[in-house]
Amino acid sequence: MTLSTRIFARRPDFGAIIGVALLFVVFSLIDFSGWWSGRTLGNILQFTAILGCIAIGQAIVIMVKEIDLSVGSVYGLTGIAYITLEADLGIPGAMLAAMTIAGSIGFLQAMAVIKGKIPSMIVTLGGLFAARGLIYVWTGGSVRTMPADSRAHWLNQLFGGELFGIDAAILWLALLIVLLSLVVWRTKFGNRLLATGGDENTALSQGIRTDRVKTVAFVLCSLLAGFAAILTLADDPRTHVTLGDLMELEAIAAAVIGGCLLTGGRGSLLGAVLGAFIITSVRYQMISLGAPASWYITFVGLVVIAALIFNQFLARWATKQA
Amino acid sequence: MKWLTPLKMGVLALGLTLTTSAAIAQEENEYRFVMVSHIGSNDPNMRWLTIAMDEFEKKYPNVSLDYVSSNQYSVQELVRLLDQTIASRPDGIAVPIVSRDALEGPIRRAIDQGIPVVAFNIPDNRSQEERIPYLTYVGGDEYLTGYMTGQYAIEKAEAGEVPMPEHVVCAMIAAEHEGLRERCRGIEEAVAEVGATTEYLFTGADPSTFRSNLRSYLSANPQSNYILNMGDFTAPWSWQVANELDMNPDVNQEGMTILAVGIGPIGLSGLKNNHLLVASEQGFWLQGYIPFEWLYWHHELGYEPQSDIITGPIMVDRDNIDKFDPLSKAVFGAGSEDDSAWQ
Repeated sequence: MTLSTRIFARRPDFGAIIGVALLFVVFSLIDFSGWWSGRTLGNILQFTAILGCIAIGQAIVIMVKEIDLSVGSVYGLTGIAYITLEADLGIPGAMLAAMTIAGSIGFLQAMAVIKGKIPSMIVTLGGLFAARGLIYVWTGGSVRTMPADSRAHWLNQLFGGELFGIDAAILWLALLIVLLSLVVWRTKFGNRLLATGGDENTALSQGIRTDRVKTVAFVLCSLLAGFAAILTLADDPRTHVTLGDLMELEAIAAAVIGGCLLTGGRGSLLGAVLGAFIITSVRYQMISLGAPASWYITFVGLVVIAALIFNQFLARWATKQA
Repeated sequence: MKWLTPLKMGVLALGLTLTTSAAIAQEENEYRFVMVSHIGSNDPNMRWLTIAMDEFEKKYPNVSLDYVSSNQYSVQELVRLLDQTIASRPDGIAVPIVSRDALEGPIRRAIDQGIPVVAFNIPDNRSQEERIPYLTYVGGDEYLTGYMTGQYAIEKAEAGEVPMPEHVVCAMIAAEHEGLRERCRGIEEAVAEVGATTEYLFTGADPSTFRSNLRSYLSANPQSNYILNMGDFTAPWSWQVANELDMNPDVNQEGMTILAVGIGPIGLSGLKNNHLLVASEQGFWLQGYIPFEWLYWHHELGYEPQSDIITGPIMVDRDNIDKFDPLSKAVFGAGSEDDSAWQ
């Protein structure tokens, strides 16, 4: 194995890259014209952009050895807030208010985890139910959509329209990957993030304020879930109180498939997006090829287990090589 | 002092009347009935039920009614709620049989403890001898809902108003919901009579996932020309996906035709604006009222209904929107004038 190959194989998202390559080969062999049609890839990429955005946030939280089960409900609540508040606050005001709600939930959850010393799984499970409950109480079960002139607002179009013939959500996701990857891999904060997840006591002994790092991770995660909701509803504001139903599980699965270790300290934002692509494309193609859609849930479960085993193996191998 | 005699008689009569009234009042039984429901506050149809229950309480002040529900399409959650309700020893329970396997144990336990049970909304579809021994079933017939919707589409196709069904997509938002499967089986058997096929597509309930799954299926199966939605709230999503795929989803003689189960502002405005061919209504208001009538009279006089009480489906189309509009406004606060979901 050459040095460059070895370096490439040590990447946390190596498994996801191989997975995506395999996916392209398999789907091309089974259904070449269907898979390579602009409509198929366009639809898959559009949904990947939404799920990928949530998965990036989840990956950041997992990197600090925590988990956020509330992202599906935060996604739902932010989206409903955006639609509902638009009538009173206008597009900019509603967007700002919705993102504030998302960020506040992340902050409150971080405080409960850090100050309350409660496991993040319990706190965010509570967040999942609380945010979903708020949606039901707020809407009473039915959500109206946005009027046509509000949809045409430049800010709404910036997030939900098309830029250069490409869905805005896809471009926003690309921008997020670049920016946040730079933050994680090229800044002190990134080092602290991985150090906190790798070994919190060591990080503390080196003077890292791990509580601050975790707070930023939780807030970022909720903000990204909220941003995904804005991208979704700016594109199509017809929605329902079920918005984001079970999305948290898909986001966690995407992050794990993408190379995030639940033990913290290792992960990849690009990998999380590739994981989202794998989940979305497998579901899309399974339905397209005639398999019952409910099989997809089983398939995702199996892929997550396989990815966990592969990524653990990869992590051990990378440690030995280092 | 002759006048004293009638006075004494009057006082005696008044005393007797008051004593008797008090005795009757004391003898009036107090009851607490509970509706354990899968229709949570996330489903606007809950309001049909709770409004009907309020009316019932007004008519029977000695009965208190509780509505407990889950906001998730989860059988486990419903079983948990049912267990909690049984433990509170109510005088009667109304519950939908969303899964007979999961609910049979708790319901039999309630009946063994002397708590009468009425099934509502979804029945145990087994024969009378095999099914869970509840008092009666009050609700629509899920199979009939799908079957009559299919028959309605065929009738309209024969009249030349819409295309004849060739391939129907039954868009199931919850895979584990037996009632939804029955609806799909109903339309499957109805359209099979004209040689059409049916796909049971698990779409999920999240709007984006729903659209993504349906888009995938329709792209690969462009021969699909009908979509049956399990609630009127998903009908605009189906319409939108079909529209994006250039499948001409409005009600006319070609392309895709959209059908729905359930009616509210979204369904009514869809009918009015020609996006939706028909939406069936299953008599939700009656389902929130009749179960408690039977539980009450079962306690008071030992009544037992001799057959199930079917409250629907009632087919709602452009011809009878005006009858449902006032109902929709009373329950949902809006009617067919609110077409925002379709824009």
